[in-house]
Amino acid sequence: MGMLNLVLTNISRKPPTRLYPFEIREPFKEFKGRIVFNPENCILCGLCQKKCPPDAITVTKADKTWELNVFRCIMCTECVNGCPKDCISISNERAKTGAKEFIKVAVPIVDKPKAPKAETPKAASSK
Amino acid sequence: MTTVIPFGPQHPVLPEPVSLKLEIDNDVVVGVLPSLGYVHRGLEKFIDTKDYNQTTYICERICGICSALHGITYTRAVEKLFDVEIPERAQYIRVIVGELNRVHSHLLWLGLFADGFGFESLFYECWKYREAVLDVLERITGNRVIHSISRVGGVSRDLTKEQIDMTLKMLDAVESQVKDIEKVFVNNYTVKQRLVGLATMSKQLAYEAGTAGPTLRGSGNAVDVRETADWDIYKDLGFKPVVEKDGDCYARTKVRITELYESIKLIRNAISKLPNGEVAIPIKGFPTGEAIMRTEQPRGEVVYYVKGNGTKNLERLKIRTPTFANIPSLLLMLPGVKLADVPIVVLTIDPCISCTER
Repeated sequence: MGMLNLVLTNISRKPPTRLYPFEIREPFKEFKGRIVFNPENCILCGLCQKKCPPDAITVTKADKTWELNVFRCIMCTECVNGCPKDCISISNERAKTGAKEFIKVAVPIVDKPKAPKAETPKAASSK
Repeated sequence: MTTVIPFGPQHPVLPEPVSLKLEIDNDVVVGVLPSLGYVHRGLEKFIDTKDYNQTTYICERICGICSALHGITYTRAVEKLFDVEIPERAQYIRVIVGELNRVHSHLLWLGLFADGFGFESLFYECWKYREAVLDVLERITGNRVIHSISRVGGVSRDLTKEQIDMTLKMLDAVESQVKDIEKVFVNNYTVKQRLVGLATMSKQLAYEAGTAGPTLRGSGNAVDVRETADWDIYKDLGFKPVVEKDGDCYARTKVRITELYESIKLIRNAISKLPNGEVAIPIKGFPTGEAIMRTEQPRGEVVYYVKGNGTKNLERLKIRTPTFANIPSLLLMLPGVKLADVPIVVLTIDPCISCTER
C-alpha cells in the first residue's frame, strides 16, 4: 500500500515544479553563473588563456583586448584561480538567454614606457 | 524459426544509443548481437591537445551522471604519478561529493527502472527526491551536473559550516523518502511479478563474466572497490559492501536501494570525521611513469590507466568503464528472457553507453 499513500498525499500537495519562466528561482550564492572580468588590474599576461581548458579566452596583447567565448566556457574556474591580479571573478547570476557569443573587453593597461621602467630597477637589484 | 528484432539504438527505455539485435524464437530471446559506437567522441585521443590539469575536465565530461567520480579517479591517478599525498580534508570532501553523486545516480536509475516497467508515478517520485540531492551538489560545487570539484592536488572548493548543515538536513529528508519508495520497490505485488526470478545470474557466472558493480553484488559476490582499493578513507568510515544472493533483477534493485542507505551513512560519517586544514596543495613539474587507479562508481568499478612522459601532456589515458564490463553479462542474461522483459533486463545493468564509448 506504500504507493497508494504516496499518491494520495501528492494529490493534496502543491506541485514540486515551478512555472518557469514566470517563476524563476533565485540562484544559489555558490552557483557558478558567469565569468566577470574586471580589466582595471589586468596586465595581459595571458595566463587565463593558457589555463582555459576549452580555449574560451583569447588575450590579444597587440590590440589590448580580453575576449571570452561565452558559449565555450565550462565554468571550471581555472582562470579565476589562476589570475595573478585577481581580475576574473565568478558571479552567481546566470548568463541571460540570447546573450552574445563573445564578450570583448578593452584593457586599459599602463602605457608602454612605464613597463620597462618598472623592470629596470628589478634587473639592477638582481645583479 | 527465429526472427531478428532490432532493439535500439533508439528505444524509449534507452537514454543513450546501443543497438541489440535480438534473435527471437516464439517470443523468447535465443541470441543477442550487440553493436556499439554511436556516441564515440575520441576523448582518450583528445587529451593530446590538453595538459594534465585540463584533462580533469575532459574526464568529467565522459559521463554526465557519475562525472564527479570520473574526475576524482583521474586526479587520484595523476597524484599517484606525482607520488604526493593530498590533504585529508580534500580527500574527505572528495568522498562526500562522490557519495552524493552515487545517491543521485541510484535515484535516477530507480526512476528510469520504474519507468521501464511502466510505473510512471514511482518514476516521478524518485526523480523528485533526486532533485534535493542535485540542489545540495549545486550548492557545494557550484554546478548542477558536471561538478568540477576535484583537481590535481586537492579540491577546488572548501565545505562551509552552512553547506554541511544543509547536506545533513537533506540526507535526513532523503533517507525517509527512500524508505517510502523502498516499500514500493520491495513489497509491491506488480513490481515483484515483473522482477523476481527474471534474468538470474549465478554467483559463479557473474564472477566469470567479469561483471562489475551492483550487477556483481546482486549475484552474491562481495566485491566492492571501495573496500578493496587503496583508498583508506572508506575503511575509516566503516564501509561494508551490500550483497544480495538471488542474482535476479529484484536482487539488483535491492542492492541499489540498500546502497543508498550505505552512501547516506558514509556521508554522515565523513562529515562527522571531517578534519580541518588545507584543501589543496600546489603540484609542480610534469608527470612521468605509469599508474592505475580504481574507484567504485555507481555502476561498478572504473579503471584509469595514465602514462606520463615528462611533458605537460599525458602520453596515454585509458579508461575501462563499468558498463563495458557489464555488457558481456547482459548478453549472458538475455537468452531465455521474454521480449517484453528485455527493456527491464537491459536497464538492470544500468547501461551508460557514453561512458563506454568515450
